[in-house]
Amino acid sequence: MMKSKVSRPLIQMKQFYMLSVLLLLLSGCYGDDKGSLSANSVIYCAEGSPESFNPQTVTSGTTIDAVSYQLYDRLISFQTEDNEIGPSLAKSWHVTRDGKMITFYLRKDVSFHQTDYFTPTRPLNADDVLFSFNRLLDPAHGFHHVSGGKYPFFQSVGFSSLVEDIEKINDYTVRFKLSRADSSFLANLATDFAVILSAEYAQQLAAAGNHQKIDLQPIGTGPYKFKEYRVGSLIRYYRHENYWRDQVAIEQLVYDITPSKTARLTKLLANECDVIAYPVAHEKITEHPNLTLEAVTSFNVSYLGFNTQKPPFDNKLVRQAIAYAINKQAIIEAIYFGHAEVAKSLLPGSSWAHDESISGHGFSIDKAKALLAQAGYPDGLTMDIWALPVQRAYNPNALTTAKLIQADLQQIGVTVNIVSNYEWSTFSRLLARGEHQAVLLGWSADHPDPDNFFTPILSCASMNTGNNRAFWCDPAFDDFLYQSLQTTNTRERKKHYAQALRILSEEVPLLPIAHSRRYQARHKNVQGELLHPFGGIDFSGVSKN
Amino acid sequence: MLVFIIRRLNLFFFTMLLLTLLTFSLSFLFPGDPLVNLSGQINATPQQLEQLKLAYKSDQGIMQQYFAYLSHLAEGDLGLSMASQTQITSEIINLLPATIELSLIALMLAMFVGIPLGFIAAVNHRKTADNIILSVAMLGYSVPVFWLGLVAILVFSIQLGWFPSAGQLSLVYEIEHVTGIQFIDILLSDSVYKWQAFRDASAHIVLPACVVATAPATIFIRLARSSMLAVLETHYIKAARAKGLTFRQIIFRHAVRNSLLQIIRHIGLQFANLVTIAMITEVIFSWPGIGRWLIESIYQRDYTGIQSGLLVLSTFIFIVHIVTDFIYAALNPLAREHNHGTS
Amino acid sequence: MARHKIYQEEEFPSPFIQLWLIFRQSPVVMIGFGSFLFLTVLAVFSPLLTPYSPVESHLNSLLLPPAWDDAGDISYLLGTDNLGRDMLSRLMHGTSLTFGLSFIVVIISLVIGVIIGSLSALTKGIKSSFLNHFLDVILSIPSLLLAIVIVAILGPGLDNTLWAIVMVLIPQFVHITRNAVKEELTKDYVLASRLDGAGSLRILSYSVFPNIIEKIVSQATLAQSAAILDIAALGFLGLGAPIPLPEWGAMLSNGIDLFYIAPWTVYLPGLAILFAVVATNLVGEGMRHAIRQRKES
Repeated sequence: MMKSKVSRPLIQMKQFYMLSVLLLLLSGCYGDDKGSLSANSVIYCAEGSPESFNPQTVTSGTTIDAVSYQLYDRLISFQTEDNEIGPSLAKSWHVTRDGKMITFYLRKDVSFHQTDYFTPTRPLNADDVLFSFNRLLDPAHGFHHVSGGKYPFFQSVGFSSLVEDIEKINDYTVRFKLSRADSSFLANLATDFAVILSAEYAQQLAAAGNHQKIDLQPIGTGPYKFKEYRVGSLIRYYRHENYWRDQVAIEQLVYDITPSKTARLTKLLANECDVIAYPVAHEKITEHPNLTLEAVTSFNVSYLGFNTQKPPFDNKLVRQAIAYAINKQAIIEAIYFGHAEVAKSLLPGSSWAHDESISGHGFSIDKAKALLAQAGYPDGLTMDIWALPVQRAYNPNALTTAKLIQADLQQIGVTVNIVSNYEWSTFSRLLARGEHQAVLLGWSADHPDPDNFFTPILSCASMNTGNNRAFWCDPAFDDFLYQSLQTTNTRERKKHYAQALRILSEEVPLLPIAHSRRYQARHKNVQGELLHPFGGIDFSGVSKN
Repeated sequence: MLVFIIRRLNLFFFTMLLLTLLTFSLSFLFPGDPLVNLSGQINATPQQLEQLKLAYKSDQGIMQQYFAYLSHLAEGDLGLSMASQTQITSEIINLLPATIELSLIALMLAMFVGIPLGFIAAVNHRKTADNIILSVAMLGYSVPVFWLGLVAILVFSIQLGWFPSAGQLSLVYEIEHVTGIQFIDILLSDSVYKWQAFRDASAHIVLPACVVATAPATIFIRLARSSMLAVLETHYIKAARAKGLTFRQIIFRHAVRNSLLQIIRHIGLQFANLVTIAMITEVIFSWPGIGRWLIESIYQRDYTGIQSGLLVLSTFIFIVHIVTDFIYAALNPLAREHNHGTS
Repeated sequence: MARHKIYQEEEFPSPFIQLWLIFRQSPVVMIGFGSFLFLTVLAVFSPLLTPYSPVESHLNSLLLPPAWDDAGDISYLLGTDNLGRDMLSRLMHGTSLTFGLSFIVVIISLVIGVIIGSLSALTKGIKSSFLNHFLDVILSIPSLLLAIVIVAILGPGLDNTLWAIVMVLIPQFVHITRNAVKEELTKDYVLASRLDGAGSLRILSYSVFPNIIEKIVSQATLAQSAAILDIAALGFLGLGAPIPLPEWGAMLSNGIDLFYIAPWTVYLPGLAILFAVVATNLVGEGMRHAIRQRKES
């Protein structure tokens, strides 16, 4: 009796042994040929999850990278060769002499994505353009308040006060009427944010009462169409078969969301990713036989932003003291491995508005100590620094930057607590609410116009959207920005920006640290231009051999 | 047997009672409003808060609140995740199978490696083989799992390129989520790339399963060794030897079976340990399981998530514990009978 | 050595000496014991011994490999990390954090656990049964998970980690003390002293404790290896020691960023943890082995 009962696990055991041997054999075959599926797919290891699938509603680089160029097109776009504005969905456009009236002539052969949740019946026309812009301009629009009703980029550049009216001339002609001339208007329309959505899809959703789906299950005209999204895990796109430009060479594009920089590098080395975002720019990668490390000049700046609404940083002297106490050169060496320039002002040296006469804050412990004492903190103080939890072109490792700053500030008696455990979406939500004291963050320009370095992140308008992480508002500063936009004369504009920069240098709402390049690493068998100097990554030209 | 079942169910009931009491009290211990901690509704409007108050009876006595919490649990409502504002129950249903898959495969692996090694050590008691196996076991028992995982990735994924380093399956394969157990889902799917995917999934589980299995395997070595030594000391083995049975016959026919029984008893106890290791391993190998999710919840200060994760993981461990108890009892009639007092 | 033999017949060694005599027979155990002592010395005196400060950055020597590498520098024997901090100094300081603190944690939980355990051993009936079940529940929740939950309640930080681990270890000591005391209480010599009129406390402290102390100490070594691993694991997960502190687990997780570029920043802290745990376990094994041997002889 007992014997037969006891022998049972032994038999099972033998079976399991065989099973596990089988498994091992199966896995042994792995690696030789991954077959046709992975040859037709590109996996991009991205650094974070997108907050939305509509670039209009965000400013975060992660979302732009994930969404903007893959799913959508813009009326006009920056040409890769010279960064001049070129045609896209609009084949041509016309600006009146006073700069207040701009007419776009649309292409007639642009089709929207066909997916399991939407089948387009007509190609792109003026209604789609009207819908896309009216949504963000008109608070009474049925879709305006969907997904929170915030359009941070457009609000921060004062889009709604600038655009008086958008008019449909005929099915393929649209006219924008502006309240004043604005030299950055066209550039703003060419940014990643100014995408064109489908009005027909919106109608279908409105009829079903599913308004919020427009930003979650997107429909656009771009080279890829949406298939699935699992938060924190992956985004899957399929090729858009009827794309109006040349069809994409691969069938499937997958975003593998991998926040850890090491994990991305590991996946690249272990052949689990084809392209990775923000690798560590180190010679060990360039030396690897199968990998290439590429860099593009990127208009960006990393900064330490002070919450000017909260003590102790409501005091200008404290901000100045901190500015003097930080050794930027050391940060460049340790964080960027020397591949970045020390930021003297918000604008990088390659911008035409850059002014040599503004030298920024040098590194001087004595000055810092004196300022701190003058501000009423002779014995130092304690502060929190929130470190950006993801890697960005402007700062590949905010946590380590924070550690370096922590060590620097120790010398002037300032104790720093580093806050770094939040996930990106929580982090940005809390920042917008102003819960931080100081934050290590940065900004990547969306277009070459210098205005993009000021208005979206430091104007009074951007304070309301929470994009102004310093919560700093100075009417005099805003006035210089406004005056600069009134003219197209570059020399005059430069003068205004120089004055704006002087205000920043005196007030230090944020301390610019470095201007960096954007890096990307990929396997040598992945071809195609992926990075542009402005805005996000673009997979429309990718191929694999 | 009936008495045995009742005793086990009773134990399970009592344990669950204590466990739910523990998680319930956590909502008071965590920072913030207990009601928000329980429900996870951080952006609730005042009206919604009123409704929640009714649902969780938070204006009544503590016992009523506890029972309201229990009834929510019974309905499968664990509240909303504070970080993502989605139903925790559905997140857990998505994630738990991956953890079950990893931990069960690792458990198998640990047993199939550890137990034979332990037997070998016992048979060669105080000889070289015994010493070597014991030293390896000591190392395996002492090695920090997060470090082991990293070294495994560095060697086997990066340098040798044999196995992938992250996830359950290469993302190019689109496998529908049915049971959540990856292998079953792949077999159920109608993808043309099914067998490619299966192979890929097997390659993905090798490293994490080996890393999780290391420490439990060493424990099985020790258990198997001491239980075999104990069995070899018994009179019936001596009798068999006196009868003139060969060494092989004694070991395979008598000793192995009886010492296996003793080991099965311990599987349940070891499982808690194994799940802890699996949690950290999930973080390192980006395994989409509940352990990683739980640790993420802590980073996000998602108290509702922590509470529910603790409850679900511990329940899972208890269930395995009790199942192994049943298996043991089914195999060993002696255990069913004199099971009074401590077990 | 010769003297030993002369006295052996006249003087029967005390139980502790007996234990030590068996303990020191195994060379492996003695190596473990030596390492344990070495770590203890390091934990106490590391601030005096380290060549550099553990938090000082040397910006001219970032990511130097260990000295035996071609690119290494002999003045940084084990290399530097991404902020140019000397790895050797950090590891040595880490000894007092990871190893030293685990020692303190074990002592605290031992004292509390033994007190609760021996008091509870004196209870009977439903109270005792409830306590038994309660302990079973707590003990079957994975210790690290429990520690993580406690850290979640208290908030991250080194102090809170330590308290969490103390709380997690207490039930183990309660459990072992309780069982040991119960076992001793049934023995005849206890009955004898009870008949002599000794009170419970007196029995505990004069009769029971001397007989169970070895069991508790051997449990303590187990607890310490668990405590080292838990402190390091929490540090690794970013829930333990705050950022600049050279706790081994935290160092390791800091090294992960540069895993491929500077593997020594991952290898070395891991080896340090392994070394400490192996040393502790060897001491524990040796002790358990000696106790068993002494019983048999």
